[in-house]
Amino acid sequence: MMASGDSRRDTRRTWGNGLHWLGLAARGLKRDLRAADVRALFVALALAVAASTMIGFFLDRLERGLTRQAGQMLGGDLVLEQGEPFSSELKSTLREAGLTLSDQVDLVSMISRGERFQPASLKVVDSAYPLYGASRVDVGNGVEPLPRGPAPGEAWVDPRLESLIGLQLGDEVRVGRTTLTVSGIIEREADQSGGFSSFNPRLMMHVDDLAATGLVQPGSRVEYEILAAGPPAAVSSLDARLAALKRDGVEVRDVRVDRPGLGRALERAEKYLALAGLAAVLLAGVAVAMATRRYVDRHLDTAALLRCFGASQRQLTRLFALQLGWLALAASVCGALLGLAGQAGLLALLTAFLPLELPPPGPLPLALGVLTALAVLVGFAGPTLLRLKRVSALKVLRRELDPLPASAWLVVAMASLVFGGLMWLYSGDLWLSAALLVGGLVMLVILGGVGMLLLSGVLRLAALLPQGSHGSSPTRALRLGARQLGRRRQASLGQLLAFAVTFAAMAMIGLVRGDLLTAWQDQLPEDTPNYFAINIQPQERDAFVETLAGAVDDRTALYPMVRGRITALNGQAPQEAVPESGRGSNALRRELNLTWRDTLPEGNRLVAGEWFGPGDTVSGAEASSNDAANAGDRAATEPSDKVVPISLEGELADRLGLALGDTMSFTIGADTLTGRITSLRDLDWDSFRPNFYVIFPPGVLELFGHTYITAFHLGDAQSPLPGQIVENFPAVSLLNVEAILGQVRELLTQVTRSVELVLGFVLLAGISVLYAALIASRPLRAHESGLLRVFGAGDRLISRVQGAEFAILGLASGLMGALLAELAAAGIYAGWLDLAPRLHPWLWIGLPLGGALLVGLIGHGLSRSLRRQTPMASLGLLGES
Amino acid sequence: MSSTTSSSTMSSTTSTSSNHDLAPILQARHLGKQVRSGDRSLTILSDLSLTVFPGETVAILGESGAGKSTLLGLLAGLDAPSSGELKLFGESLAALDEDGRAQLRAGRVGFVFQNFQLLPTLTALENVLLPLELAPAADNDARARDWLMRVGLGERLDHLPKQLSGGEQQRVALARAFVTGAELVFADEPTGNLDPATGERIIERLFALNREAGTTLMLVTHDHALARRCDRCLRLIDGQLVDMTLEEVGA
Ligand SMILES: Nc1ncnc2c1ncn2[C@@H]1O[C@H](COP(=O)(O)OP(=O)(O)OP(=O)(O)O)[C@@H](O)[C@H]1O
Ligand SMILES: [Mg+2]
Repeated sequence: MMASGDSRRDTRRTWGNGLHWLGLAARGLKRDLRAADVRALFVALALAVAASTMIGFFLDRLERGLTRQAGQMLGGDLVLEQGEPFSSELKSTLREAGLTLSDQVDLVSMISRGERFQPASLKVVDSAYPLYGASRVDVGNGVEPLPRGPAPGEAWVDPRLESLIGLQLGDEVRVGRTTLTVSGIIEREADQSGGFSSFNPRLMMHVDDLAATGLVQPGSRVEYEILAAGPPAAVSSLDARLAALKRDGVEVRDVRVDRPGLGRALERAEKYLALAGLAAVLLAGVAVAMATRRYVDRHLDTAALLRCFGASQRQLTRLFALQLGWLALAASVCGALLGLAGQAGLLALLTAFLPLELPPPGPLPLALGVLTALAVLVGFAGPTLLRLKRVSALKVLRRELDPLPASAWLVVAMASLVFGGLMWLYSGDLWLSAALLVGGLVMLVILGGVGMLLLSGVLRLAALLPQGSHGSSPTRALRLGARQLGRRRQASLGQLLAFAVTFAAMAMIGLVRGDLLTAWQDQLPEDTPNYFAINIQPQERDAFVETLAGAVDDRTALYPMVRGRITALNGQAPQEAVPESGRGSNALRRELNLTWRDTLPEGNRLVAGEWFGPGDTVSGAEASSNDAANAGDRAATEPSDKVVPISLEGELADRLGLALGDTMSFTIGADTLTGRITSLRDLDWDSFRPNFYVIFPPGVLELFGHTYITAFHLGDAQSPLPGQIVENFPAVSLLNVEAILGQVRELLTQVTRSVELVLGFVLLAGISVLYAALIASRPLRAHESGLLRVFGAGDRLISRVQGAEFAILGLASGLMGALLAELAAAGIYAGWLDLAPRLHPWLWIGLPLGGALLVGLIGHGLSRSLRRQTPMASLGLLGES
Repeated sequence: MSSTTSSSTMSSTTSTSSNHDLAPILQARHLGKQVRSGDRSLTILSDLSLTVFPGETVAILGESGAGKSTLLGLLAGLDAPSSGELKLFGESLAALDEDGRAQLRAGRVGFVFQNFQLLPTLTALENVLLPLELAPAADNDARARDWLMRVGLGERLDHLPKQLSGGEQQRVALARAFVTGAELVFADEPTGNLDPATGERIIERLFALNREAGTTLMLVTHDHALARRCDRCLRLIDGQLVDMTLEEVGA
């Protein structure tokens, strides 16, 4: 009984206590809001929240928007394809998962107008088509976006069909056993589903007319597709089923994985945006750390007094923790609102460029923002704040009894830990975060040393400066400014490091942006091929080259192409030889395009092994062939198991679990051919150039039936070349990919814009952090300049001294920032963005100069008001100090 | 207005000065200072007049809150009066802006603040060097060391203010006020934190300077022993200065 009564009273007292402290903390904070450091702390925290919520919101919406756009190119969020109709069971499973479906059938067939025949690639769509976006079609009123397909009885056709068979709007076209009316000329299809693998001109028709064509017969080559649209969660819920489908040989394209043509660009853009978000958070963290130092310095006296009055360490901790808790709460709310407004503004700006419809903001980024604020407060301010509780009461009497400043190691360790955690959260890559963190810490130690050296160097240099003859001569101001900087060594070092990190973060985000854009431009340069010509017969080859000569780039190359199927890997059946994950690979089911070549093709990079040497160029005699009749007398003299060197594409090698030295056997026609992998290549699939998984040395494949393929760039839309080719080489299929290229370029432009906007935001965040940091250091500078004024220093001198101080600070931190940015960028390029690191010479000039200018300007602006005050006021002889 | 002509007229109106044939170094007429706190206006000084001649030593006494620090700040041109006229070294301060006033003070005026106003991040030596850096000379360092020696802190050159006791900080502030060789030194309770023996030594220094270099001293003090040694003692009461007799000071 007694015990329970006691405990109840205890609880009540704790409660009363708790409320009491909460109120005390709130009042303390209210009084504190007058102080510059608390305001700076508030601004920094609000900025951290604003930055992370804004970039979070933006990224989230952009990500979803881009996924949708990618989905549009793919035809849906999920696309299934196989050679027979899909079961209705599967369709209802997909619908139950929350997906909207559209059926599609693709086949190649002869179409005709009157007496003129032409093979065409038929795309048979239903009324649900397209799930996303709209096709650009001319139905008689000029080209317009239409979010539908052709109606039953109608056909939409490729404009090439006009020149090929004279097909025009309103004409009748015969497809199989039925006749359709041409009601639209297609400029661009809403999606790329069905692909352009057939290279034949397109004809789109409605699924209701398909039966009447009589084209679908047992054994005819028809591809059935299900296009499905829905939220990622719906697609994810089907993962197990999709895996099973893949094992059954169904081709599964998933927007989360297969982003057509843009994979690497988008991936990099997202990483970049996440990186920018992190940079903004880091900047805010640095500002919080700086503001906290002053906050604690200022409250040491308060803490000591409270100790005198009998407050325990716990009570002190609680008081200040609560006080900052209030601050964090208020800052979070303000920051979140700011972030929300900011992202809305960003998007309003962006939608002017973006024909991209973005989904509304989700709640997740908001939570992430608040979490970030708390993490930043705990990580960047925590250890410094703990100093307050270690204050001894005696400090009231003996001022030197300040508790030791929180060990710099502890501060940095804690901040790094938290920041590392945030990095992990943002990037989803533990090892990368750990590596970046360790690298960053090592850099910080080095920078600390460099900073100390720089400061003492500045002091020594200042002493060497001529004294200056008159009152406010520039050299004298420089001398004085340098001295003040050098004397406040601890504080200056802190600012130097903070500014260096700030500049480095700003510069890095700028650098990476530039290099990203360059990489994107390099990926699709002006002269990216916009025409493919395939099926060039060997006997036409020279004539074709001649036709092209002069009209196109001389780098344009014709690649021989032989189709072969993989039949064995290292002598084993492929399905048994490859790792489980590689079993569904298309490469095992379909015929591969093989080529031969004596030089590495443009855009290919050797990643392992060696390219064919002169000895590898196999004379026909060395080719191994089982078909003695085909190979003639030469085969008779050679053992049939002779193996030739081949070069394999690296990613396929990974998927199939192959390495240098392994062998691959191909069936070509009726023959079998075995090659040993002597090199692995890395190539750019997004390059719009013919790419080959397997390349043989010359002298092997020539024996087999082959055709040539080429891709070339034609700058002049009016060029007669396409017409000439169609006319002179009737067997050659010519494909214009300008439209697809345009779509890819447009998407890149959009991503570029978003990257630029985010860069602008990071720059702003950096500037605000400089501002916050300088505001926090203002009281000390105010004291100094007030005293100088008492001693008789004039406006000119004071502003010059401060200007010199700021300029030196900016210059030095810019220099250190350049070092940091260069190293960090190199690390990020190599480790994360998959770009080649390079040196940025202008950075070493631009950053110090820009830094001096920026810090100088902000500092100058901030100290202007100080200079107008009377010394009485700026020394705070009566007011707060 | 030429100061030589005005000096003869003024000298007759002032009494105990030893240098009344020179132009006044400091002249205040009908000085007033009001401050606003919230929506209430508080009058600290009103219609206050004072003339000080070079080489004089003047003590200002008064109760706490009487406005002594405010007055000293005004006289040194650290703040602007609400009304009245003020001349320092014969120049009217009203005609000068903040900048001009600072220039007038440069190297000629020393100030010891009641709360010392040492820069917490600078060592004792660096604090004393600060005013010297405005008028650089080769022997700056030596002069600063010399002055710290004179106030008895020769061994504490590299200590930060917070490592020094209150009295020691006050002595650094004194050294800083005198190191430029100022003609006019304002000191707000310069011996307030010192024990009698140290206080006595410092006072000796001040008056020796006054004798040897003719430095004019304006002291705010509660220390009657110090006040008695000054040429004039003034009491600040109700915003005005009144002369005190020796008996009053002795009391
Ligand atoms: N800027 C101001 N705002 C409000 N009140 C002021 C201001 N300046 C001075 N005061 C008030 O004027 C009065 C005189 O202040 P001052 O510091 O000059 O007194 P003092 O004579 O030096 O006192 P003490 O002997 O305690 O140092 C005080 O009551 C002070 O609060
Ligand atoms: Mg006072």
